[in-house]
Amino acid sequence: MLSGKLRSAVIIGGQGIRARKLRTFLSMISLFMGVLAVVTVQAGAEIAERALLTDVELTQGIDGTRAMYIPDNGAAIVEDTVRGRKDAVAALNMSAIIGEPGVRPVNEGGMPFEYAGQGRGGPRGYKWCDQNGCYGAEETQAPKPDGQAIEVRLYALTGDVRTFRPFRPVSGQWLDFASAPAMAPRLVLNREAAKGLRQYHVPAEMQVTGASANMTPQITGVVDDGGMEPAAYVRIDELRTWLPSTAKQNGGQGGPGLQLLLSPGTSDLEQTLRARLVGLGIPADQVQAHEIDSRSRMSSQLSMMRWIFLGLAALVLLIGVAGILNVGLATVGERIEEFALRRAVGTSRMLLAGIVLSETLLTGLLTAGAAIGAGVVGLKIGSQIFGGRHPSLQGIEFPWQAGVAGVIAGLVAGILGGLIPAIRAARIPIATVMRA
Amino acid sequence: MTALIQSPLIQLSGITKTLKGQDEPRTILSGVDLTVHSGQSVAILGRSGSGKSTLLSLIGLFDRPDGGQYILGERDITKLPERKAAQLRSAEFGFVFQRFFLLKHLTAAQNVAMALVNGQGWHSRRKRKAKVLAALDQVGIAHLAKHKPPRLSGGEQQRVAIARALVREPRVLLADEPTGALDTETGNLVVDVLLSATHRGCGLVLVTHDHDHAAKMGRVLSLHDGKLA
Repeated sequence: MLSGKLRSAVIIGGQGIRARKLRTFLSMISLFMGVLAVVTVQAGAEIAERALLTDVELTQGIDGTRAMYIPDNGAAIVEDTVRGRKDAVAALNMSAIIGEPGVRPVNEGGMPFEYAGQGRGGPRGYKWCDQNGCYGAEETQAPKPDGQAIEVRLYALTGDVRTFRPFRPVSGQWLDFASAPAMAPRLVLNREAAKGLRQYHVPAEMQVTGASANMTPQITGVVDDGGMEPAAYVRIDELRTWLPSTAKQNGGQGGPGLQLLLSPGTSDLEQTLRARLVGLGIPADQVQAHEIDSRSRMSSQLSMMRWIFLGLAALVLLIGVAGILNVGLATVGERIEEFALRRAVGTSRMLLAGIVLSETLLTGLLTAGAAIGAGVVGLKIGSQIFGGRHPSLQGIEFPWQAGVAGVIAGLVAGILGGLIPAIRAARIPIATVMRA
Repeated sequence: MTALIQSPLIQLSGITKTLKGQDEPRTILSGVDLTVHSGQSVAILGRSGSGKSTLLSLIGLFDRPDGGQYILGERDITKLPERKAAQLRSAEFGFVFQRFFLLKHLTAAQNVAMALVNGQGWHSRRKRKAKVLAALDQVGIAHLAKHKPPRLSGGEQQRVAIARALVREPRVLLADEPTGALDTETGNLVVDVLLSATHRGCGLVLVTHDHDHAAKMGRVLSLHDGKLA
């Protein structure tokens, strides 16, 4: 239950606000911008962090996932160990060419189609030199003729990788791991690969280094995997029909060929795999797992920006506080007789100060409510307008942290703006009413 | 009624008060003795600047005396801290001033309720309303409860102010020239309303310039050279 003092303060504060509606409204306007700035910065930071995290999760994996990189000679053991499991997925990573056989792909090296025709690391035959000599695309074999083919990074999966990397569906179906493997490997493309297929109309023939023959893939769907380079996903058992595990793979430029993603709490499986790989002769230091922790990594990067913007918002808020303070001082000056009278009828100095503070606090809270409301509506409209262009903005909710920040900003502004007027009100001598 | 007048309510003895002026301190009260009993009415007359209002502000605990003793009932309240003084002002005193000091944005009832919504205890809305209406009825303007001050005449406004002073059923009613802003007829009405409070045992101290009004009180005192006579 509220105490008599608090109830009295709220009742009298409410009467004061109602009696000076226009003045309260004007002081709310100046404060509104400040609180809205705080709400916007906080909401923007939360949304940006969430959007960035979502994008990072697409490529790196959900926070808490444990990732291991397995050398080529350990791939078969890993495949065998995690096959059929839902808490671990292995992804064999290799290069594949879809289109006419024996031709040079339009995006040689698997680069984005924006750079198609520029070859691996630059235009064909490109060389660069320094004081130590020349390097670069010195082609050792006879160049292949240009043709209708695209190069993609092919990920052969032992299970549904979306548990770890929540790809956004674009069209069609994701790989069905429950059905019997098909002879014609089913592929799911990422957006960039789909763009290449649309753009270049390549024949449905897929070449993978080390495969016994070219394959005729079936494309079942398209996903957004957050990647810039063209990629395709395939069931590893469907690929193994054509690519035995003993075949030498083109294990991806710049890294090992097989990545293993493990759910949190699968330390037993991790230990088993490590033991089996070490038993195979792979040095223990090459069988390391690390935990994906994108949020904390990004938080440290984003926090500085957030603080800078919050600092700017605080300055705007300060202007609002100055407005409330100005109005508060003018109001106390105008209400000297009222306050003296209230003291005469038994209101204590503390309560009198509380009344003035409760008025500014109520004003601050009302303003915070209005600013939060404006933020919610603004976000809804922004989400509808820009959601089509930016998937991370689709269906986004107003972050509660921004609401809390707005309420705190309103309260702080109310206290800062009301403190000096409250002290002045408490110091008004009662004898004022006798001398009036 | 005689029985009500027996117990001493206010006892001032040797009260002194000096105000610090711009040039040198000015002694306003120099050894005032005053006793007011329950149900007794006292008028204090005196020239302007004689210290009548200062004496009233000391009795009403707006200010503290420099010397002397102040006993309320049986309690020595000469050097009461401000927090306790606020409690006593709320519980024991009712004040009526020359200017009515009604808040224009509140109704008559809300103005009266101001004395109840002061942080000294809490009355439910229903109880508050009943007390306010009873106080307004006591001064004969219950039908104006919802009117705001600008719509009331001077006499009605002063009666609202008296209802505000009476709503907590004080033991002492202090009135500082309550008829100063009113015509004679309305002034008489207001004094009668104040006097009616003494019938319930309330002590009344009336500061006035009007000898006719003073004559209606039980005792008439004059403040001259800082002393009551």
